[in-house]
Amino acid sequence: MTKTAGHTGGCQCGAVRYRARGELGYPHICHCRMCQKAAGNYFLPLAAAKLEDFELTRGEPKWFRSSDLVRRGFCGDCGTPLFYDIPETDFINIALGSLDDPDAVKPVMQSNTGRKMSWFHAIDCLPLEPEPDTSDREDAIAASNHQHPDHDTKSWPPGETL
Amino acid sequence: MTTYTGGCQCGAIRFRARGTPADSSICHCRMCQKAFGAYYAPLVSVRGMEFEWTRGQRKSFRSSNFVERGFCGDCGTPLTYEAPDGMAVAAGAFDDPSLLPPTIQWGVEGKIGFVDHLHELPAERTEADLTAGSFLHELVSYQHPDHDTPVWPPEDRA
Repeated sequence: MTKTAGHTGGCQCGAVRYRARGELGYPHICHCRMCQKAAGNYFLPLAAAKLEDFELTRGEPKWFRSSDLVRRGFCGDCGTPLFYDIPETDFINIALGSLDDPDAVKPVMQSNTGRKMSWFHAIDCLPLEPEPDTSDREDAIAASNHQHPDHDTKSWPPGETL
Repeated sequence: MTTYTGGCQCGAIRFRARGTPADSSICHCRMCQKAFGAYYAPLVSVRGMEFEWTRGQRKSFRSSNFVERGFCGDCGTPLTYEAPDGMAVAAGAFDDPSLLPPTIQWGVEGKIGFVDHLHELPAERTEADLTAGSFLHELVSYQHPDHDTPVWPPEDRA
């Protein structure tokens, strides 16, 4: 497999896959209430790809128009939040946890901190679970993991040729 | 008894939980990361609480043979992690997630290196968001409000 410069990613089930060439712009975490609720999370990590460098390589996201000016893309099959898009601009924002390698894009800024969780700074001090257990259940989950792997695949779902 | 409400971004799915959550945690495992499109999944266990769906039917994805993950089929908001021993709800989907701070971290084998330093990043208020540009003064949100409503969608948008 040849590695091309840029980033790939997609949803948990693999129905939607994308690729962005080059570096992603302005990686940041957004604490606004709309990103929080859309993502079911404390914040949403986003970075922009120029449309000319971006392509969907499998499937199509479903869109929710969260305001007249913004639409949010997600996988209609598994729900993964994928995109924050301002139509008519020349870029699209990617939800950074959907990257195959989210560790590769480090945020540089926090935005919209008016609704930031007051205890956000304390999360990194939380106790850690002991070593991951290897119970039968954990093993069974690992063996039956239906998540798409963190790289492009020739066919989806696994074992089927589309 | 404390009552907590919440739902998805568009409001098609709403829920209510009464009682005391079993725990509030964040999970760094790669399955939670990808399912949430984020660095971790914040989950509030509703095991032992009185829990009911008060509007709509969630859609679900079977992420492994033991676990189903619920989400809104209309707007995509991740909503649940459902395992044989109980259900946990996405913390950010609660109408006031600030009431449910996490107390433990799970799945640390998948933890992203810079996650502990996110709170040290420089911060901006909404007005300065570079991704938002100049449109904020005319933005009209279609997000469901952070409280229960008698009808959905609002009559002026139905």
